This record gives sequence, C-alpha cells and structure tokens, in this order.
Amino acid sequence: MRAARLFSLEARRLLRGRLSLLALLLTALSPLAGLTFYRPIDPVTTLDGCLANPSLAGGLAGGVLFGLLAIHECDRARRARVETLVDAAVSPLVYALVRLLALLAFAALALGLTMLAWLPWTAWTAGGVFDLQTYLLMYLVFMGLALPLCVLLGGAAYQFTRRQDLSIVLFAALCALSLTVWAEEWQLCFLNPCVWAVSDDFTNFRILRSVAYVRLTWLLGLAGVWGVSWLCVRRYGKGALGSLLRAARRVYRPAVALCLLAACGWAYAAQPFVDHSNPDLTAMTFYEIPFMEGVTCLSRTADVRPDVNAGTVWGRATYEFANASGREQTVALAINPGYEVTSVKANGADVPFHIGDYQESNWALLQATLPADAQIELEIVYGGFPQEWNVSETMQGSDEISSRYICLEHASLAPYILNAEAEGGVLPATIEVTLPTGMTAIPFGTAEAEVVSENGDGTATWRYEDEGPGGILYAGDYVCADVEAAGLTVRFYYGRKHQGIMEEAGAADAIRAVAEYCAAHYGAPSFVPDGTLKLIESRVSGGGYATAGASLADEQDFTAANLSDAAKGGMAGEVMIHELVHQWWGLGCMFDVADPSGAWSAEGLTVYTCYRIVKELYGEAYAQEHYVEMWRAAVEGYARNFYVRNPEYLAALPEEEQLAIANSLSQIRQYSEMPLKILKAEELVGGEAAMDAILSGLFNRELDPMYPYLTYADFLAACGLTEEDLSLETDLSL
Amino acid sequence: MHIEIQNLEMTYPNGKRALDGVSLSLRSPSLVGLLGPNGAGKSTLMKLLVAALLPTKGAVFVNGSPMPGAERALKAQLGYLPQDFGLFDELTATQFLSYMAALKGLKDSRAAVQEAIAAVGLEEKARARIRTLSGGQRQRVGIAQALLGDAPFLILDEPTVGLDPEERIRFRNLFSRVARDRLVLLSTHIIDDVQSVCDHLIVLHQGKVRFMGTPSELIRSAQGHVGTFLAKNAAQEKGLRVTARINTAEGVLCRVVAKALPDFVRPETPALEDAYLYLISGEAMA
Repeated sequence: MRAARLFSLEARRLLRGRLSLLALLLTALSPLAGLTFYRPIDPVTTLDGCLANPSLAGGLAGGVLFGLLAIHECDRARRARVETLVDAAVSPLVYALVRLLALLAFAALALGLTMLAWLPWTAWTAGGVFDLQTYLLMYLVFMGLALPLCVLLGGAAYQFTRRQDLSIVLFAALCALSLTVWAEEWQLCFLNPCVWAVSDDFTNFRILRSVAYVRLTWLLGLAGVWGVSWLCVRRYGKGALGSLLRAARRVYRPAVALCLLAACGWAYAAQPFVDHSNPDLTAMTFYEIPFMEGVTCLSRTADVRPDVNAGTVWGRATYEFANASGREQTVALAINPGYEVTSVKANGADVPFHIGDYQESNWALLQATLPADAQIELEIVYGGFPQEWNVSETMQGSDEISSRYICLEHASLAPYILNAEAEGGVLPATIEVTLPTGMTAIPFGTAEAEVVSENGDGTATWRYEDEGPGGILYAGDYVCADVEAAGLTVRFYYGRKHQGIMEEAGAADAIRAVAEYCAAHYGAPSFVPDGTLKLIESRVSGGGYATAGASLADEQDFTAANLSDAAKGGMAGEVMIHELVHQWWGLGCMFDVADPSGAWSAEGLTVYTCYRIVKELYGEAYAQEHYVEMWRAAVEGYARNFYVRNPEYLAALPEEEQLAIANSLSQIRQYSEMPLKILKAEELVGGEAAMDAILSGLFNRELDPMYPYLTYADFLAACGLTEEDLSLETDLSL
Repeated sequence: MHIEIQNLEMTYPNGKRALDGVSLSLRSPSLVGLLGPNGAGKSTLMKLLVAALLPTKGAVFVNGSPMPGAERALKAQLGYLPQDFGLFDELTATQFLSYMAALKGLKDSRAAVQEAIAAVGLEEKARARIRTLSGGQRQRVGIAQALLGDAPFLILDEPTVGLDPEERIRFRNLFSRVARDRLVLLSTHIIDDVQSVCDHLIVLHQGKVRFMGTPSELIRSAQGHVGTFLAKNAAQEKGLRVTARINTAEGVLCRVVAKALPDFVRPETPALEDAYLYLISGEAMA
C-alpha cells in the first residue's frame, strides 16, 4: 500500500516535471526521424517507410531520451541535497524501486501516446496494406521495448556510479556499441534491432518474434544488472561495495538479480531463431556422406501440420526403402536444426537415431539405423520451430509461419535424404499439408496442390505429388492470375492484400513483356511442362530464385511505389525480371557452380539479359545508369579493394571474416564483372544482334548429358574471343 | 516512544572514532537537548538514530526492536531536520511539503501540510518557489517538513541556525509545545535554546556522554566552580578557564570556571553555559 502511494507520487511528479514532459513529447515526435534522417531500412515496401522506420527510430530516440531521463531522475535528490530528508522518510532501496517503476510506467505512457498520435497518419499512408495488429506489434516491439531497456540501463549506470556525468558516459558508450560494433550482431544490437525489411502483403511474425526475443533477452540481462546496481544504492554511509554487501544479506535480493542474469545468458545461448551452421559456405560435408550400399529409396511421404499461432511445425515423414544388402545400414537425413525428432520407427519398431551437433547450410544431420529387412518403411516424427541459416542472421524472416503466410524449404518441410539412391533416379514424394482454410498451398516447382479434405476445424488438408528428396512449399492468402505470353502460361500468385495494386499497375503486362522478350530471343525454356510457369510473390526476402516450372520474386518488386514509378516506365520491378530470366539462364541453360569464387555463373548472362530488357523497356539512358555504370563502379571498387590487391592480408584474417569478404568479392565478380565482360564481348562481336544470335545458339545447343553445363570456354568459343580479349584489368572504361 | 542506545561505538573508515561506548535511554514525552563542542559526535549520533549510519558496535532499540531491523518502523514515526539539507528549488513550499508528506505516507497530507506551514509561520510564502525564499525561510520549510504528520520522534539538528532572535524564541516555544506528547531530540550550540525549553540534557564530548540529566543538575554540578575577578595582570588567569570578559569602569571583569577557585575570584551563581563550559573544560573531569 505504501509502495503504491509512493509509486503514485513519483508518477504524478514525472507528469508534472518539465524535463520529463519534454522527454515524452520528443519521444512521441521521434518517429519523424524515421521518415527523414534515420532510416535503418531502405524503404522499399510501404510498411518499411511508414511503419518500420518510424517505429525503429522511435525506439532509438525514445530509448536514448528515457535513458537520460532515468539518469536525471536518479540524480535529482542528490543534486538538490534533499537525499538526507528523503532517506529519513523512506528506505533508499524502496525509493529506487518505486522510481524505476514510475519511470517504466511513464515510458509506457509515452509509447501509448506515440502509437495513438501516429495511428491516423500510418493508416492513411499505408492504405490497403495497413492492419492494426501489425501496427501495434511493430510499435510495441520495435519501439516500446527499447524504452524500458534504456531506463534500466540509465538507472543502473547511475546506481553504480552515483555520478550523473559518469552515468551518461556509460550509457552513451553502450548505446554507441549497439549502433556500431554490434550493429551486425543480431543478438547484441539492443537499441537498433536487425530489421532489414518488413512485409506489406504477408506477415512479419518471424522478425517480430526475433526482435522481441532479443529485446526480452536484454531486458532480462539489464534487469539483472539493475538488480545488482540496486543493491549498490548507497545506504548507512557506505560506498557501493559496502552497500551491496549489506543489501545482499537478504539473500533473495542478489538471488533474483543473479537469476535474471543467468536467464539472460541462457536466453542468449539458447536462442531458437538462428542455427549454428559452419560459416564456411563451401563446406559440403553432408553431401560427402557415402551412399548406403544396396539400399534404394522407393518413395517418401510427409504429413506436415504447421501451427500458425506458435510458428512451429509438426510432421510425420515416411520413406520406403529396398534393402538388398541383407544387413543393417545407417540412413542419413538432413533436418532443420531447430527441429526435434520424437520417434523413428522402421517397419513399426523403434530404431536408434541420433542428431549430430555439427550444422551446415542450415541442416543438422539425423542418422537412424535401418534394419536388415528387404523392405523397410521408415517413419520419422519431427517438429519444432524452424531455425534460419546463420549466414543471414541479420536478414531474418524467411521461415515465416503464420496464419497468412508460410514458407517451408527442404529440410524445414521434411527430413531430406542424403545417402540413398532413388530407384530409377527419381524419388516420388507425396506431401500433405494441413493449413488454415483461406490459405493456398503452392509447391515450388511443377507440382500442383489440391485440397483433399476440409477438416471442419478451420483447416484444410492439401496434397501434391512431387519428386526428389526435398522441396519448397509456400502457402498464403494468394490470388492466382494466369498470364498468357509467347505460348507460355505464367501462373502468377500474389498476396490478396495486393490485388488492387497489382491490377492497377498492370503487373501482368510486365510479365508478358519479359516472357515474350526471352522466348523471342532465346526460345521457350525446355523445362516448363505443358507450357506453364508459376511466378510466386513471396514475402520480402531480399531477392528470388527459380526452379523447374516456378520462379519466385519477393514482394519488394510489387510494391505500389515500385510498380507505379514513372521513371521506370510504369513497369514491374527489375528483380522480378531477373528471376524470370533465370528460367532461361540458369534453368533452361545450366551452369556449373563448382567454383563459387569464379566470375562465370548463371548470374552473368541473367544480369546482361535484364540489362537488355530494361534497355528495351525504359530506354538506353536508364539502362546505362542503372546497369552499366553500376557494374563499372562495382568492378572498380573490386580492383581497388585492399584484400584483392594484398591477398596475403586476407589470409591473416579470422576465418569467418575471410569468408565474408570472399563471398562479397565473388558476388561482385558474378553480378558485375561478368556482365561487363559480356557487354565487351557484345562490342567485339559486332553488336547486340550478333550477341543475340550467339546466345540463342548457346541456349539451344545440343547438350552433353554427362556435362550439360554451359562453360565460359563455350561462351568464348561461340564469340570467337579469348579470355584476354575480355580482360577488364587494362580497360575498365568500356 | 522509547529509544534505547546501548554501548554505541562508531568508528569511520578513516579511523576516526566518533562515538565511544554511548549508552542512553530516551522516552517520550521529553525535549532532550544534545550539547557538545564541534566533533563531539552529536551529528554522528543523530545519523545513527535516523539509520543514515550503522554503528561499529552496540545497538539502538526503537520501542524495544533493534535497528536496522526496525528501520521502517522508525522512519514511519520520525521527523528529521538535518543540519545541512537542500530543497527542491523548483517547487513551491506547499508542493515540497506535500511531496514530503506523501513520501512519509501521511493519509491526510493536505491538512498536515497546512498545519506545518501554520506552525512555522510560512503562510505568506506557501505558494512561493523555494528558490525565492531567504535562508531563514528555507530553514522554516525544513522545520515544517520535520513537523509533518505529528511524528512521535523529532530529531532537530541545529534547527534555529539562520533564524533571527524573534523567530528563535518562537521556535523554541514551538519545540517546547510539541514535546508535551512526543520525544524531541534537539542538538544546538545555542545554550539559551536548551536552557529555556529542554527538560533533559545530554552532553557529548570526544565521543563519550559526559552528562545526562536535567539542566538544574548540570548547573548544580558547577556550583562553587564559577566566579569573577577584575583582571590586573595575565598571570592571574593561569589555571583558570575564562568564559567571558566584560569591560567595566573598574577594568576587565573576567568570568571563569575552575575546579578550585583562587582567593581573588569571587564565587558566582553558575548559569547553564558556565556549567557546560566547566564540564567540557576538563576541570570537572579532572
């Protein structure tokens, strides 16, 4: 009761304080920074610009303001020399606790007012993609949780040092660390969370969960630190240590603080979002596992049931094997590192299994013992919260499982067989997935899913027949539009929230233009069965990819701003073009990827073709500026790169940094150097028409079934040029 | 209210021993004057009584409960005016007192504040910002916050510092009035304050209790040890503690205290100040 009265007193005092009211006002205005000078996300989607950036800016600015306010409030009584009077009336420990609670309540008020103030503007700006739940969650997680963190941090700094100046320095130092050194460490950047994009058309629960987890981890840690600092609140004329020792006599006090710190450490170490894959992207240990002798895999099935509320998956996968070896064998399967396996049975009997600690390429290794029986049905029950690959830890959000969008890739969908040959080289797969009604299941590839049962509980079960050990499944609230172009049917799936924008922008026309250009210049891709190609709008994921019969482009290409950008001729985004072109270069014509550090890959011809399409659609000046100039700048940067010029220093770096630099450099070679070389080749062979004829010849060449890849040597031979002819080192100014 | 102090010792981290084996028993109603020269340990004793310090040795009991366990109970019954304190300058006197009343958990804080303001005669300045108040007015705000809520135990450290003589008399009377049903511990250098209102005296010197009793008892202890003489040469003062020199028509009249008065010193009736000075001069102790 006494504490409640004190809390009310402190809260009222904060409400009347000029400085605290100024902090509240500035906090409520701080989202403005996200619209102007502090934009952590390059605003591509609508919500990036009008919701994510303002709320992230609000978190940063509001956090700093409340941290400073906490320090100021903690120092208030000492500054006014009222401490003696206050301490004689109430225990300093009680007072410190009440003050903290009042500051936290004041921070909650600031958040509430900010959310209320920005709601009408955000709803108006976001238009059709606005939804209240996303608005509230983003402000709560991106902004709201930053305020208590900073209050705890500022308060703890003061309680340790009992000096305003030192506390400000400590607080500023930790904030600066978050903004600089820790900015790329997703678990450490407590003030500026790693949010690189948010979705308009689908959901953002994965990234919201991830940021909330980081913030709550920090909240535990800083609450623990604050708890220790609380024990240091000066009493009985003692210093920090003396006060701590005295206050710690009541054992529950340090015990609570230590429990909070331990919980923080545990939460940090046991984070469920990102795996611990080997950072060496060239490591292929799992592919080197020898195949089981005399064992073939005849078929597989999977019954997959995503829990859209928890973001988890439960699944049962079965595999039919023929074992001609007459002995036990060990089957190896890749599984998402976030999953647990609860049972493995062979022909109805439990068999031993083990999941290794080593992880690679977002896979963990599940090994189980197959009996010596000639026919084996292996059943694996698995499930959990799928973890994302650590190479993209600062770009989380791809393994989204929510009521509006699901993406499950390969080992996240079902265990992926690594060491069994498929009978006849083809592994038939039957996948069933149970989804909320209203979601459409879209297998990434040629398969088509259909509803096999309405379950009467708000879910429906979809089934599709596929091939191969893995596969990707998308599901969501999609609209499907068929676009006829150059004899192809492009089945275009896009989010229902985006229907109006898509129709208004004429995205279908853009798809038609790309398909017609490529079909006219190179011919129809051979792998598109029945002339049908799926084009799927995915949740924002930083790009797209393609497979037989399907191509993926993320929603960034379909934003209202992008689609209606007059400077681009009102056409759909260029990543969509890029990914569509991969249906020709990459799938229609394959490239050997054995040397990932080399410049030659499917990207070179794809990027070059995009340039040609864009040049045709938007004009030469646009193509020159957005393609050729950018390639040239990237290649010049590459040539100037310190580690390129001094590779001996690269070797001296830690392995993880070496890999990061090498990956970045190889990207430049593939995406910029090679297109520039192809452009040079175009000049040398006599222009665009000549190059088109060469590329058409290469695309339609007779393939060697043993080595069906298009090599750089093939390209040079078709052009009648040598590597030296296309050398850029001596002539970067094409 | 009953405060029991048993064999209290306080040694600061720098090795200075401020209190040495102090034992006291204070009961309400009483107005206890705490006297002693600078560095005698008065402020240390007060800090120990308000739980701002912990003793090196010994114990303080509040209504039979030992400190610091009884800290919460003590603070609920305590009004404290330290010698050196500050106020929130940006608040008005009323706002500050309301804040302190709320901190103390007073139920009817508005009435308590009005009462305290009236008690210290600060009605005219009640709505003035504290930064605009004079030193004496600030001191009165300090006294008012100590008086808030009729605390059963008042500790006042030099409360009349900065007040003019008229105000001092007024507050002296106020303390006397509030001590009718409460325990008031009044530390001061001004002997007049003590003499006129305190019913008990404690004299601290060099960390020890040198006297505990009524003012009359202290005065009686100096009977026959106080006298005056007309100073003729410096040698006369040898062995005597001169407490006052008064210029008269006959010359300088010296008032002295001593264990044994020489023949040329005419015995006088001791005042409280004489008795106090005699006590701490070392003569009595010798």
